[in-house]
Amino acid sequence: MDVSDLVDTTTGRQKRTIYSNEELYKQELERIFGRCWLFLVHTSQIPKAGDYFRTFMGEDDVIVIRQKDGSIKAFLNSCTHRGNRICRADRGNAKAFTCNYHGWSFAPDGSLAGVPLENEAYFGELDRSKLGLVQVTHVAEYKGLVFGCFDPDAPSLEDYLGDAKFFLDVWLDAMPGGTSLLGETQKMELGSNWKLPVENVCGDGYHLGWAHAGAMSAVQSMDLAGLSVGNSSTNLEGGLSVAGMNGHMALTSLDGISGYAFYPEPKPMMDYLEANRPTAIERLGKVRGEQLWGSQINITIFPNLQFLPGLNWFRVYHPKGPGKLEQWTWAMVENDMPDEMQAAILDNQCLTFGLAGLFDNDDGDNLAACTEQSRGWRTAQMDVFTNMALGRSGPRDGFPGDIAAGLVSEHNQRYFYRRWQEHMQAESWAEVPTYNINSLSVEEPGNA
Amino acid sequence: MLEMNPAPVLVEDMIALTQRLYHEARLLDAERFEDWLELLCDDVTYRMDLKRRRFRADRSPPAAVGAGVVFNENFARLKLRIDRLRSGYVWAEDPPNFVRRVISNVEIEPADAENEVIVHSVIVIHRNRIDGLARQFTAGRTDRWRHGTQGWCLAARDIALDHAVLPDSNINVFF
Repeated sequence: MDVSDLVDTTTGRQKRTIYSNEELYKQELERIFGRCWLFLVHTSQIPKAGDYFRTFMGEDDVIVIRQKDGSIKAFLNSCTHRGNRICRADRGNAKAFTCNYHGWSFAPDGSLAGVPLENEAYFGELDRSKLGLVQVTHVAEYKGLVFGCFDPDAPSLEDYLGDAKFFLDVWLDAMPGGTSLLGETQKMELGSNWKLPVENVCGDGYHLGWAHAGAMSAVQSMDLAGLSVGNSSTNLEGGLSVAGMNGHMALTSLDGISGYAFYPEPKPMMDYLEANRPTAIERLGKVRGEQLWGSQINITIFPNLQFLPGLNWFRVYHPKGPGKLEQWTWAMVENDMPDEMQAAILDNQCLTFGLAGLFDNDDGDNLAACTEQSRGWRTAQMDVFTNMALGRSGPRDGFPGDIAAGLVSEHNQRYFYRRWQEHMQAESWAEVPTYNINSLSVEEPGNA
Repeated sequence: MLEMNPAPVLVEDMIALTQRLYHEARLLDAERFEDWLELLCDDVTYRMDLKRRRFRADRSPPAAVGAGVVFNENFARLKLRIDRLRSGYVWAEDPPNFVRRVISNVEIEPADAENEVIVHSVIVIHRNRIDGLARQFTAGRTDRWRHGTQGWCLAARDIALDHAVLPDSNINVFF
């Protein structure tokens, strides 16, 4: 389908049909989820050989497995005989995956290791070498984050991430010990189109003071963006909306402490930041070490990965049709954090943005209703708008990207829909533009 | 060491505790949260852990820092949740949803402490929200109830939610 009229980034307009149309959804599975690098697993979740993690790439069920040589491979979770799902567990450690249907057995490297009655029923004529699990075309790691990609023509993961690495490194590379995801996966089903939560977290500071007013009035230490309850005031100098980095975005505070200052007992967190600030500055340079590390930051990697240093949650959205998704969340920590701090972060993440999260529980119904109000014959023809602060962006010293001042803006959302449109229009990767606006010419560390 | 067989739970205590579970459910259905809090001990713990879904033969260790939780509350945190619900700003609860709890499979056994008992039960929470949208949570509960001067109070509740994927967009309810 031609999507040239469905999104207009120059005026900040989208046609509502993009949230409900079945054909567009199928096109998204092909041109976005079948083409982009998608987050699969964090290396901390599969540390040992034989460790595996089951996830999705679009609607394709995938198993990611740590190999004997330490590398990571990903396969379609589907038996090559009759198509049955071969793994029904969320994760674990296994020597083999045996299909429940006829007992075909696959080794962790994907090879077909055993076929019952191979000689008697197949007369020894089965070519097992051609019947291994189907491998995900590309799997690559960026500092603990493992991504997969189905498209053989995709750019490298490093190029795909582009200047978003400037922000990724604030979380992934500030401390020498790296990062981990904690605990079991917090899975929630939402009656929402997958784009709506991504849009919400990538740039929507506007909703915080209103949609989360109940939580903000109860948890008074959690003034999320300098916004008052009821959205009555905001401070534009409090942060930045950063976009124009190959469809990836960041929404960031600049104070270096806001990510942890809201904890009920912030002292251990503040001590940790103070003790490790010199290390962060040494590794990331002055701008990021002082202003970003420790700040509340929303990072979005197109299309469906978001994580928030500060609130310390990490999330992917798996589409399940145009009007449904599964939201998967974990707590994330730096491995250099003391155990008690990690435990406090896990507890607070579950309290605020977990399955019964005081804040998270406010968003689902809004996103579901935006989806439903795009399905009617008349509403599907209507527009919705992301035109706040249009034309008020530009470069900023020390940062990459096209930047709008403040956390309340719809700047990032416009870039999200621009990227969506670029992918949906393109027949292949060759037609997808690459852009890292206002790219920093000099590498950060050293230029401080 | 001498094993002491705890005394069996008296029939009148069984009746009183079963009634208390039903009463609690009715208070929560009616959003009488402050009355519900009065049934809780000051040192109450209220917990719902995230569950593992693994093959039976799987030998991978449990998560080092913990599996994570849905609820890990004490009295103050339950009060915090009630403050949020009472704020008048929780739009998903306005208009009020149709919520009904069904409590069943009540089984009561002695606890180690003399003035406490263990109460097992099953809870099903039906919610009708927004037009025809109806959702149901099913969970098992293991409680510890303590007998004091004010009668029975809830000292601990461990809730096992029986859903691998939460089938709704919020849990604005107590189990």
